[in-house]
Amino acid sequence: MLNGAAGEIRREALDYIVQFGEAFDAPCLVDISYCHYPAEMGIYAGSVEDAVAYAQRCAAEQAVAQASLLADKSAPLLTDQSRQAQRLALPGIRVAVPTTTSTLCCDLERPGSTGCPPALEALQAQIAGAHRSLGMLETYTCTPQQLGFVPPFGSYIVSVESSAIIYFNSVLGARTNRGGLLTRYSAVCGKYPLMGYLLTANRRGTHLFNIDVPPQRLSTCDGWSALGFHVGGLVGSAVPVLAGLPPQIRQEWLISLGAALATSGAVTLFHIPGQTPEARTLEEAFQGGQPEAVYTVTERDLDAVYEKMRTIPRGAAVDFVTLGCPHYNLEQLRVVAELLRGRRVAGGVRCWVCTNRMTRAAAASAGYVQAIEQAGALVVADTCPVESHMRASTCREYGLAVPNVTAMVTDSVKMARYVGDLIGCNTALTDVDGCIAAGLSGRWQ
Amino acid sequence: MGKAVHVRKVVRGVAEGAALVCPGSFSFLGDVDLETGVIIAAGNPNQGQALAGRVLIYKETKGSSGGCVVLQALARLGRAPSALVTVKPADYNLAEGAILAAIPFVCEPDGDVLGGIANGQLVRVDADGGVVEVLG
Repeated sequence: MLNGAAGEIRREALDYIVQFGEAFDAPCLVDISYCHYPAEMGIYAGSVEDAVAYAQRCAAEQAVAQASLLADKSAPLLTDQSRQAQRLALPGIRVAVPTTTSTLCCDLERPGSTGCPPALEALQAQIAGAHRSLGMLETYTCTPQQLGFVPPFGSYIVSVESSAIIYFNSVLGARTNRGGLLTRYSAVCGKYPLMGYLLTANRRGTHLFNIDVPPQRLSTCDGWSALGFHVGGLVGSAVPVLAGLPPQIRQEWLISLGAALATSGAVTLFHIPGQTPEARTLEEAFQGGQPEAVYTVTERDLDAVYEKMRTIPRGAAVDFVTLGCPHYNLEQLRVVAELLRGRRVAGGVRCWVCTNRMTRAAAASAGYVQAIEQAGALVVADTCPVESHMRASTCREYGLAVPNVTAMVTDSVKMARYVGDLIGCNTALTDVDGCIAAGLSGRWQ
Repeated sequence: MGKAVHVRKVVRGVAEGAALVCPGSFSFLGDVDLETGVIIAAGNPNQGQALAGRVLIYKETKGSSGGCVVLQALARLGRAPSALVTVKPADYNLAEGAILAAIPFVCEPDGDVLGGIANGQLVRVDADGGVVEVLG
């Protein structure tokens, strides 16, 4: 591949990955089995244009290869018919492994629904054709694992999106670093350097957290989100081990936990002894070694996170409610539909329930989308508030009011943390019931 | 320090430029203006200086994984540094941006680059040879 026999596109892709491996003394490259590909968002200058140009380069190189095969008369026994068959069998220049895509800055399935400026929406829409021609899947979600992309234990993958990365590593036992711009080239050549969290030694737990919190505080996504935010702030980029948790943990709670760990810290992997696959025991979590530090987490630590995230005064008006950070699954949409059925979101409040488009289709067939939207809320796919045009920098660029939101209530500490700075709004963290109550009353109580 | 120090290669290439020495840690997301490539971080002693064409020397990379996107965006605008030198081991994410932007990147020098190189001195970074040299 490196000598160009497989074409310039693949040579270039592999060359980048080799350089990356050399930069960190990786002993070799390994084959990967899956990629979760970065958002190429209209809100980043040049990003969509670059992706479209790359897809065009791939298509052009493939067209040249096909033409030269058809023109090759050196094999006289080859009939035109068999040449044509061979041409059709020529592998396309596209991703080498199943590749899902991360979130965009608008809902491409429902243009105009999120308030995104039409020019920005049109720019963003160009991305779909580019991804399709490269063989990428138009999932546009931060939680591809909820769509059935569940790489096997021990498999090497490349992923962006910190909440997905930490879930793949910790809950599934697949192996990935925090991917960046080179994910495109890994997807095309199917390789990644053997380094970082791909190596067993780097997956050893470093810090022990004894969780001494009443179980009812850990029975909703916001509770797990607060726990993750507290722990992530203490460990930075290390590998926390969380002991003393209740035995029956739901998938969405672990998604919330991971998203928060990767918000206050740069946590890529956590272990829960007896629950996650590389920590059947406490000893295994630390690979037989000792923790560098031991902490106890109490209810007060969780309270402090809620207090830090609450910048909306009691009784003040709320103009935005966000559910679905990370993107909600079908069960979570069902619960929201039950809470909203037959009720009405207060005037002046935008209430977004964010998910991916496949889950939205399933929720529509079960009637959940209708129940939620008849109440005046919106089921949004492909994006979320923090990835959308509502960022202050994008609002300024497109001449929209800044800040776009004044007071947002959410059940996700990740959403609260990022919209505070990037949209410039006040926030409050509470459970789904509290979020819906704020949406119905238009007040933070 | 002497006229040359040995360094570890992260991203290949050879480049020269006037040194821009930041003694602390540096985040490409947040510390630098995306349009102009000028350092905007209030705590940075080089606030107001442009990165374009400079050999950026600093202690370590911090901050969001959006850093590599910022570096690539600056390179597209012709406003990126000509080379990167960090005292601490290189950051994975920033390396991805430097590879794509073809910016020579070295780390872990065996001499005091923060104290031994002054702002504005002409510096040559030879990543392939593993040497950072003060030319004048």
